[in-house]
Amino acid sequence: MEAVLIFVETKGDEIKKASLEVLSEGTRLAQTGRFAIEAALLGPAAPDIVRTIASYADAVVHIVDPLLDTYTPEGYALALADYARTRSPRIILAGATQMARDFLPRAAVLLACGIASDVTAARWLEDPITVVKPVYGGKVLTEVSCDGSPFIVLTRPNTFDITSPAQKTGEVVERRADLPAGSVKKRLLKKEEKPKGKVELAEADAIVSGGRGLKAAENFAILEELAGVIGGAVGATRSVVDAKWRDQGDQVGKSGKTVSPKLYIAAGISGAIHHIMGMDTSKTILAINKDPNALIFNYATYGIVGDLFEVIPAMTAELKKRLGASREASGR
Amino acid sequence: MNIVVLAKQVPDPEALIEISRTGEKLDIEQKFTTSLFDEFALEEALRVRERLGGKIKVITLGTGRAVEVLRTAIAMGVDEVLLLEHEAFLNGDGYATALALSRAIVKEACDMVLCGKQAVDDDRGEVGPMVAQFLGMPHVGSIVKLDIADNKAVAESLGDEGRMVVEVPLPAVFTAHKGLNEPRVPLVTGVMKAMRAQIPRATPEDLGLKPGEIGLAGSKVRIRRYLAPKKRSQVRLIDGDAQAAAIEAVRILMDVERVI
Amino acid sequence: MEFALTEEQEFFKKMITETVDRMVGPKAKGIDETDEFPWELWREFGKLGYLGLRYPEDLGGMNADPVTAMIFYEQIARGSVGFAQSVIMNILMGTYFIYRFGSDAIKARCLYPAMRGEKIGTMCFTEDQSGSDLSATRTMAVQEGDEWVLNGTKMWITNGPIADMATVLATTDPKLGAKGLNFFLVEKGTPGFSAGQVLDKLGCRGTVTGELVFDNVRVPRENLLGEEVNKGIDYLGEILDEVRAMTGAMALGIAQAAFDEGLEYARKRVAFGKTIGSYQLIRAKFAEMATEMEASRLMVYYSAWRIKEKLSSRKEAAMAKMLATETCLKVVDEVTRIWGANGFAREYDPQRHFRDARFLLYGGGTHEIIKDFLGRMIIGKS
Repeated sequence: MEAVLIFVETKGDEIKKASLEVLSEGTRLAQTGRFAIEAALLGPAAPDIVRTIASYADAVVHIVDPLLDTYTPEGYALALADYARTRSPRIILAGATQMARDFLPRAAVLLACGIASDVTAARWLEDPITVVKPVYGGKVLTEVSCDGSPFIVLTRPNTFDITSPAQKTGEVVERRADLPAGSVKKRLLKKEEKPKGKVELAEADAIVSGGRGLKAAENFAILEELAGVIGGAVGATRSVVDAKWRDQGDQVGKSGKTVSPKLYIAAGISGAIHHIMGMDTSKTILAINKDPNALIFNYATYGIVGDLFEVIPAMTAELKKRLGASREASGR
Repeated sequence: MNIVVLAKQVPDPEALIEISRTGEKLDIEQKFTTSLFDEFALEEALRVRERLGGKIKVITLGTGRAVEVLRTAIAMGVDEVLLLEHEAFLNGDGYATALALSRAIVKEACDMVLCGKQAVDDDRGEVGPMVAQFLGMPHVGSIVKLDIADNKAVAESLGDEGRMVVEVPLPAVFTAHKGLNEPRVPLVTGVMKAMRAQIPRATPEDLGLKPGEIGLAGSKVRIRRYLAPKKRSQVRLIDGDAQAAAIEAVRILMDVERVI
Repeated sequence: MEFALTEEQEFFKKMITETVDRMVGPKAKGIDETDEFPWELWREFGKLGYLGLRYPEDLGGMNADPVTAMIFYEQIARGSVGFAQSVIMNILMGTYFIYRFGSDAIKARCLYPAMRGEKIGTMCFTEDQSGSDLSATRTMAVQEGDEWVLNGTKMWITNGPIADMATVLATTDPKLGAKGLNFFLVEKGTPGFSAGQVLDKLGCRGTVTGELVFDNVRVPRENLLGEEVNKGIDYLGEILDEVRAMTGAMALGIAQAAFDEGLEYARKRVAFGKTIGSYQLIRAKFAEMATEMEASRLMVYYSAWRIKEKLSSRKEAAMAKMLATETCLKVVDEVTRIWGANGFAREYDPQRHFRDARFLLYGGGTHEIIKDFLGRMIIGKS
């Protein structure tokens, strides 16, 4: 039996979707009979959340310390590495969120171990464990393996399916990290959250993206409406961000975010290669463009050659009708 | 203010890449450039020096035309450069690379390390935080704003969930994200200076490292094979006028693909 | 024989290529569409210091040799021909005779500011009825005491209407033909010197090209740019070969810009289920274009090398200009074919390269003239 330590990230009173994905994968690993799953939570967390996590894992450790009250990469790395040393896990698993990619490389140095930071597939039962990591913006895939232990694996959101908890009642242990005074020197001055209700681009199941075809910043409203109806996020191309119609944080593409949602709707986007590299691993891509020769159609699953100013609102209306009807049907 | 910048040479984003038949190696068109996010790091170093004075040293690990990254930095106006070109340094994972780079940084003479948040070839994003850990310094990742005063930095980082502003005492490591600044274009006098410059190199021995600790030999993870991503089949166009196509699209997405 | 650029030159090429891609390339379409001189870009570019490319370092220049200069000419033309023509005129023809023969006062007033992009210079040869035939120059220069009086009209002058200084080719006696030619410096503000018609051109839009009028323009004696009177044609010979090689370099730059567009299209455009680059006829086009561009490149840089080594270069530079131009015209044509209907759209770049390339047929000498004198050189006078 080998130990798997899963880092769980929370936001307020919710478990991050990326963490639910790796917890689900942990459940699947446990089912093979070869791995014992322990979930690790750092810093303050509501008891409800801890209980939910415990339903996925054999054990949960909740590591606390005044120096962990606010996230710092130094503090989290130190606390997790200290704990990992006592457990000698074969795998340390986490969703490749900004936070995980920020502090787990530090932990890898503390543990002098291997790390793969942006994994899209994993073969846990192979010896050595082998994971798949895209490079060159996704143009090439690499198979990466780690002989030593632990192997820290950060998986890209939407790599694993979320399953309902395994109905475990993992034992919850609280533990003080006992970080030395002065090991964390940072102070958080301000945190500016994205407006509430806005779905995070990197984790969204559905993304509606707009390019220059939108013609003006205010026209993004029709994409926002569609995204709102399907519970998705709104993305943007580089040219639109450079024109200051949308925020840098909304950019999908090589110098923006790489996303892999189940559904990617590209409206008024020509399909320049640097944008493609940021989204072409999406499961289903629907492209809407006036130009039948737009490059985006070479990468899309489905395409509509038409005026997005007609198609998008028509889709929104149809979706409202169908989703509204199903909501009624299920008595919500 | 003593600033160190870590910069990497990567293949041009448009360079052709072919995977060998057995998947053991890559054949990459010989066109190179400085990794995009490292350019923001270099520009920020120049701005900090303009405001507060000091010296900038740029370190690159790589071979072949990697020296051009350093010449470019000289053209921009940095004070010193160092090239880690020895074979033993090459092909390392994040750990081995960060180890070598951190040893090349003279800790006592360093107030700040700047590098890109990730290299645009490997897309790992590990070296910045790892160098910070090796040096025992705090780091702030993905910064889009940096202010320095009284030996403290106030940095704004752009995350998944929004922006965070943190204060951290120097020395510290900062990894640059797009939006931090607009890199400048070098003057011809800088270009001329760079053309003639002698580029100093360091061996593993110079840095007190054994060949087995760095590069491919010192890596904790290994690339076993290269693969091509799955090819997408041809696009299926949805016919009809805007209204009809929209309705059909919704049907496909909800009932066929089940992604809504 | 050494066929490679030095490491220094390779690095310079990288730097200027990146500078052009960052500063000039993105503005090229706009410059062409508005046909307006890009003052802001000119100022920003001037600050970088490249306008002193060919002049000594102690004057604030780069002291670049002809080979390094070719790298510059090629890349700037690749970025935007409309901008490049103005830049190159300022770097070479528009300032050379001032650098070579101007007094200290003239240099201080004209050359150094031009090297910083603070002033714009031009050289005036062509007239309404004389282009290739310089001996038919009608602009007259008559000496009156301590002054020269100039009368005439020049046409097709790059930067003319916006120039702060003009190096004007004028004759002291039409009967002397080429042996009566001289260069004179005329500065903006001199009474009688004015800009006339501005030309609406097919290509190289953005560069202000037009007519300059000299109506009893009086200039002091020191404004004769030359050690002796009537030696203008000899002085011109000092840069003639470089001007021709430079035109060849511009042709390479335009060809490269078009070629890159063609390449991207061939790799991405899909027809009958495959990218069009998979088809033999398209592949053949690229094979031919690349071969001819490579040959032209070697010719241009070889002639620049001969100029640098002070070997005779009249033949080689003329050949280079001709070959590179003919290649460029073929490449811009082929690329618009590869682009199909999209090659006809003003929205995309191939049509701009197609239009820009036409100036190469007369800039630096028409091919009819070149073939005539080359043939004569080879066969010998009979």
